[in-house]
Amino acid sequence: MRFWRRPAIGLVGQVFAILLLTLLIEFGASTLLYERASRFAVRDDEANRLAEHLVISRRLLNERPAAQRAGMADELTTERYALQWSEAQPAPPRIAPALNEMRRQILDWEPSLRTADLRVRLQSPGRSSVVTGGVRLADGSWLYFRTLEPVAGINLAFERIALAMVPAIALMVLGGVLLRRVLLPLRRLAGAAEQVGRGAVVPVQEDGPGEVRRVIVAFNRMQDRIQALIAGRTQALAAVGHDLRTPLARLHLRIESLPQADTREAIARDVEEMEAMITSLLAFLGGDADPETPTTVDLAVMCATLADDAQDRGRDAEYVGPDHCEWRVRRVGFKRALMNLVDNALHYGERVTITLLPGGETITIRVEDDGPGIPDDELEHVLEPFVRLDPARGRDTVGFGLGLPIVQLAVSLEGGTLTLSNRPRGGLRAEIVLPHSGRVLHV
Amino acid sequence: MTAPTILLVEDDPSLRMLTARALQENGFSVRPASAAPEMWLALESGPVDLVLLDIMLPGTSGIDLCRSLRQKSDVPIIFMSARASETDRVVGLELGADDYIAKPFGTRELVARVRAVLRRPALDRRAGAGDQGMLTFDGWTVNLPRRELSSPTGAIVDLTGAEFDLLVVLADHAQRVIARERLIELSRTRLGDSSDRSIDVLISRLRRKLSSAGAPAPIVTVRGVGYMLNAPVERA
Repeated sequence: MRFWRRPAIGLVGQVFAILLLTLLIEFGASTLLYERASRFAVRDDEANRLAEHLVISRRLLNERPAAQRAGMADELTTERYALQWSEAQPAPPRIAPALNEMRRQILDWEPSLRTADLRVRLQSPGRSSVVTGGVRLADGSWLYFRTLEPVAGINLAFERIALAMVPAIALMVLGGVLLRRVLLPLRRLAGAAEQVGRGAVVPVQEDGPGEVRRVIVAFNRMQDRIQALIAGRTQALAAVGHDLRTPLARLHLRIESLPQADTREAIARDVEEMEAMITSLLAFLGGDADPETPTTVDLAVMCATLADDAQDRGRDAEYVGPDHCEWRVRRVGFKRALMNLVDNALHYGERVTITLLPGGETITIRVEDDGPGIPDDELEHVLEPFVRLDPARGRDTVGFGLGLPIVQLAVSLEGGTLTLSNRPRGGLRAEIVLPHSGRVLHV
Repeated sequence: MTAPTILLVEDDPSLRMLTARALQENGFSVRPASAAPEMWLALESGPVDLVLLDIMLPGTSGIDLCRSLRQKSDVPIIFMSARASETDRVVGLELGADDYIAKPFGTRELVARVRAVLRRPALDRRAGAGDQGMLTFDGWTVNLPRRELSSPTGAIVDLTGAEFDLLVVLADHAQRVIARERLIELSRTRLGDSSDRSIDVLISRLRRKLSSAGAPAPIVTVRGVGYMLNAPVERA
């Protein structure tokens, strides 16, 4: 139990929260970039040369009438600095952090520029650092400059790229991780949905965004309803099975008072068949026995005893394998499964061989007969309940067609697998492989 | 010898009537009862040789009845149940019932079981009354009510009915040689489950199932005479 439950925030809310967080990181990163840029200093001679050029150019432009100023600016353009004159101050470029330290250097060298509203910014059209800026002329128009050569001392390229990448990377990583977290309950739900109908009811933990949480709650309720429905039906069917046994018991006792021997035998056979059907139905529904817990069982002896029992009934049965092999299984259910396989084998064939092959980690039990086998395309089909394979033979099979499904159920309860195959020389092979988990360790 | 009296407790009227008739036809005297109060009345009206008890009864269940009956007398009890559940069988037998029969049953099976329980020597039952019906020898444990054999390592070792009966007979006569003929006779007087298999086959199967790593089973053949369980048996 968790004492503290996270409040249910909607999917939209969570996505917004993720976006907000990444925006904050981006904002922080850019602030850091600007802050650092403003402290960049250039070499003194670089700043001095720019300062002198700006002072001279400003003085020259101030002396000219407005009409000649654009031409004058062109003339003042050297291979180092491009100059330009304009009436008004253009908008500053977008990503251009102010270079406060460099401005201070310039003003230190040429204090006359203090009144000229000097602006210095770092601009980076490419990888090289270009400094741009402007000074105000006496009449309020502006002179712009741009360095044509990269300014020595300002080499921010790598750091700038790294800093610019931070928000992008953060967005990806954070978004990925957070969205994964948000969608985790959905994945759990998918896993649980996959398990529905395979036995145990697995309630999904109610977690995640509001929408998902509502889906999970609905899913859990649906699972409970289905379970209750199945349990109800199973109980009803099992009750019918139980109750049928009393009239069947009466019938059984009444048979003996019948005068005709052949009728008596025929009815006795019918009653026996009904009994077998009810027994297999109850075994399949699990209405007859309480859930068993695994106990240590000598499987080798169990197989041998099944063969011995069949021999005592006058049938041809053989056990091949070691004298002892201890394993943890649900004894009654597992023995019934093996018994069903042996009965099946002796129903369709004349001879049954039970083989036990202990492996290191697993154990294999084979029940083989010399009967006609099962058509390959029907092998999967016969494991489904209420399936019979007797179109040609007529109804000489006793039961509901639950024999193999009961085996399948018991084997999967042990975590094992049941495989049916046709033997190369004829006959059916039923192979049970039990997993490592049942191994008995004697220390 | 007078006919043995059987007290039949069964709530279904027709089944009660049919069962009673089947028993009477086989020479038993039957006192029918439909539930607990009638059963106590019937017990007071005279001595009873055996009680046939349905597990699912209206009011007090057969299991509770069995428990209170056992506190008062040693009368043999056979349970009847429509549930072939292993738990019912084990609970019934552990509460001191002598046998268990699953519905539906035929007259022959019913009569065989009743006769088998009646034939069991009274000594057998009285000896079992004070203990839990456990026999141990050489590390092996025989649980008589559950009809289960456990190996020295604690694993349950499956036996056929005939093999189990033979093992119990051998254990009852531990460290004494029993003649083959006597063995056949003894194992047949237990439940009518014994097979036509010769005793020698059963013995060889038991030996195989009772062997443990390296050690042979403690069953020895005395040539020309019979067999012997060569280990002391303790009862608990």
